[in-house]
Amino acid sequence: MTSESPQPDDRDGETAAPPLDRRLSDMPKDVLAHLAEDLGLDPTRYDTARDLAEAVQQRRQLIAAMDRAALLEVIRWGRRPVAFDATNEQIAQEIARIQSMRFSGLSQRGLVALARLRGLEVADDVPTPRLRHLLKKQEGFFSRLNRRRRALLGSIVANIVGDGQLSNEYEFLPPEPGGPAAPDSPPADSLKADIEESGLFGGITSRIKRTADQYLNQKLDEIEARIDRKLDEIDRRLAEWRDKEIANRIRILKITLWASVIVAVVSLIYSYVTAYLWPH
Amino acid sequence: MPRIDFFHFFRYLLGIVVTVYATVVTLQSLYDWYVYLSGGDKYISMLRRYVIVQGLRLRFRAFWGDVLICLLLCVVFVLLWRAHSIVWQTEDTLHRHDVRIATTR
Repeated sequence: MTSESPQPDDRDGETAAPPLDRRLSDMPKDVLAHLAEDLGLDPTRYDTARDLAEAVQQRRQLIAAMDRAALLEVIRWGRRPVAFDATNEQIAQEIARIQSMRFSGLSQRGLVALARLRGLEVADDVPTPRLRHLLKKQEGFFSRLNRRRRALLGSIVANIVGDGQLSNEYEFLPPEPGGPAAPDSPPADSLKADIEESGLFGGITSRIKRTADQYLNQKLDEIEARIDRKLDEIDRRLAEWRDKEIANRIRILKITLWASVIVAVVSLIYSYVTAYLWPH
Repeated sequence: MPRIDFFHFFRYLLGIVVTVYATVVTLQSLYDWYVYLSGGDKYISMLRRYVIVQGLRLRFRAFWGDVLICLLLCVVFVLLWRAHSIVWQTEDTLHRHDVRIATTR
């Protein structure tokens, strides 16, 4: 565990690396590999657990220093579900699952964030075409070939089963106020694009899952509306009961007052009679 | 031996007993509600706000007629009380006058 091997992500041999987080160095290699995969690293590139732990630590530091707005923009572009208050690391883990190579709809800062999370070292001011070129170049020949093959398969399957697009509205995060305008429209949510990104079974599974999610969301909205109606009904009935109850109490008070007044009148007559007509 | 008027005796007794009973029960109920609603629990706080909202949303127009009648009956009751005082004062005055006349005879 302590053997020294060349580290693929070492940038500068002269600068002293920060001390390795003890929690990471104590982790077994398979757990580290899982963590590295979640963060978009390829664990097979690292020989020892220490190298892997250092790479994970560097990736975590990179993610922590990244612009949150840029990360959220990539999430919106990738149409990924994420909580509004998710941490940078949770967002980065979700971005690491995005395999798409269609960068339309992503601004320059989003492309920079995506490129860095895909392992490219790029400056903040690299122009968009260059970033797209670098990202495509990083993909590799065989990966590109496989993607083309999946795209072809996707178009065939889409032609066979029909490519009814799901709603193109991204519904997990609110739109960013005052954010940079997207240069062009985001990628369409089609079966072909799903298969191109995740393969035949992965694409179909993802499509079914998303359709099921949409159905569930629709049903949940209906249930929510029904609950709201029920709550309104309960509120209305409670208001009626409250008014009726108060009216009832006032009526009882009124009857008591009537009784008191009648007794007082009788008493007054009695007092008058005993005082003037038949005095003691 | 003191002269007891049973009608007034019963009236006073009933008035005192009923007033004390109604006051004790009302104060007890108000104290119970105060203790219950002054809790620091989240749900009690919600209930407290809900009670305030329900109070603010009361529709007085639904029972303002009964409230007016109650107020008028209260006024009548106070006037009758005053009338009792006047009758008894007059009786006292006449009684003293009769006593004085009797002594002068």
